[in-house]
Amino acid sequence: MNPPAGETKANLRRWWQPDVHNERRSLTLCALAAVLGLAIAGVGLFKARGTRIAGVPPEDAAVVNQIPILLSDYVAQMQALYNVSPSQATPAQKRATLNAMIREELYVQRGVELGVQNDFTEVRNSLVSAVEAQQEIDANATVPTEQELRDFYQSHLQNFQPEGLMTVTDFVAPDLGSAQRAVMAVRAGEDLASAMAADGLKSSGATDDGEEFYFAAEQHLGSTLFAIAKGLHDGQVSDPIADGGRIHVLAMHSNRQPVPEDYSEARDQVLASYRTDKIARMRAGTDRFLRERADVQIAKALQ
Amino acid sequence: MRPRPIFLLFAVVLVLIAVVAIMVIGRRERTEFLQADADRILDDPRMAPRTLARGRRVFLANCAVCHGADGRGSTATGTPDLTDQDFLYGTGRASEIEQIVLHGIRSGDDKGWDLAWMPAYGRAVPYARSKLPSLSPAEIDQLTSYLRSINGAIGEDPTAVAAGSTLFQEHGGCWDCHGRDVQGDTAIGAPNLTDGKWLRGDGSRRDISRIIREGLHAVSPAFRGRLDPASARSVAVYVASLHGPKEKK
Repeated sequence: MNPPAGETKANLRRWWQPDVHNERRSLTLCALAAVLGLAIAGVGLFKARGTRIAGVPPEDAAVVNQIPILLSDYVAQMQALYNVSPSQATPAQKRATLNAMIREELYVQRGVELGVQNDFTEVRNSLVSAVEAQQEIDANATVPTEQELRDFYQSHLQNFQPEGLMTVTDFVAPDLGSAQRAVMAVRAGEDLASAMAADGLKSSGATDDGEEFYFAAEQHLGSTLFAIAKGLHDGQVSDPIADGGRIHVLAMHSNRQPVPEDYSEARDQVLASYRTDKIARMRAGTDRFLRERADVQIAKALQ
Repeated sequence: MRPRPIFLLFAVVLVLIAVVAIMVIGRRERTEFLQADADRILDDPRMAPRTLARGRRVFLANCAVCHGADGRGSTATGTPDLTDQDFLYGTGRASEIEQIVLHGIRSGDDKGWDLAWMPAYGRAVPYARSKLPSLSPAEIDQLTSYLRSINGAIGEDPTAVAAGSTLFQEHGGCWDCHGRDVQGDTAIGAPNLTDGKWLRGDGSRRDISRIIREGLHAVSPAFRGRLDPASARSVAVYVASLHGPKEKK
């Protein structure tokens, strides 16, 4: 049987009286608040657009979920797409440029949400390159003092020497005996060409193009002959050398060994080399830092 | 006599209003400046003087160390002169310079200029990005003779000049960046080699042959993240002002 209406009202009033302790009321209100909180959270979770900031900062063209699209990028994009500056662009061009950039930003953010970096090699490679590029940007922005550059130059002199130059003839002998006789004749003061011809030695043709850089001479002579040629002085002939199943004699006409350039001459290369060295050191440091910070577990079978 | 509290309150409110007004005006000016077309700021009598003054300060603090306080660069280090009309990249517009300030040249920044650099033809691997032939000392001499002769040097051996021209236009690969007309390409930063202006050295036989032998690979750093947007834009406009309006050819 239902209680009379007057009694229900009185009960409700009693239930709601704040100065009267009522455990059931507390629990009911708590439950209501929890349900309301969950509902708000649920709506927020599925419909949220992110916290909006008061307005778009002056240096940005738009802000997408709090990520700015820089005005300078917008201008560059417009230039790339339509070859116009903002003041020359039509409203349609401006809209199309901005829409394309907003779409790209949304897709990037969606990609991060989906974790595409775990699935796409191209994205992974790009991320690695981007982190490395950041180190390069930082290193390239450093301006070392002249003293730092000079110290670097002194400690890396070998980096600042041009290739050596040599003009050398590689003679091939019919046998060891004729090679020895030809060498002795030249060393005794006989003319090179006639001494070689007399004993049947002929140019191999490997280095007949005249003066060569060391790297080219090494390619043409091979590493064994080049190592010997490097040590010869102008006008000197080598001992007979057995290489590749043939007997060679090298006649050095001119050998200009590499000498480091002066600091003033090489300064731009010193700066470039200094920065390259700094990038390498920064990368090594970052590798170490990331390794130390990371929790890397390796499968037993691979340890 | 102590001032009445009402006057103190009034003074504080006045100061607050003044501060807020200054902030609002400053923000509005900043917005207007950043949203303006960078290429037109120099023509705006209201914005130009303040922009140039600020740009010069930023230039002296960040750029002068390489380009010199007067912006004339140095042919000793291969740093470009920013006061002439011989543009390496682009056409000298403030918006293009702003991109260089922010993202640099060969700085590592993906948005910067980095399409090519001058190969070192006297090395075993002249160019890291694609296969190019090394040149022999004799070929480098021929190219040097050719380049000197088209820049008006007299007394170059005609045979060497002809051989150098063939090398330039054929297997040397020089034409690929500097163009068949040898006038360079500002889309990739390849200088005009016919105008007698040299990025490094003075056009002597020694200097030209060294550039061909050892290459050029200079960097302009990216200042994004180091300069705020207004400073980057100010310095770009200032640099654009150094070379004056583009001469009509």
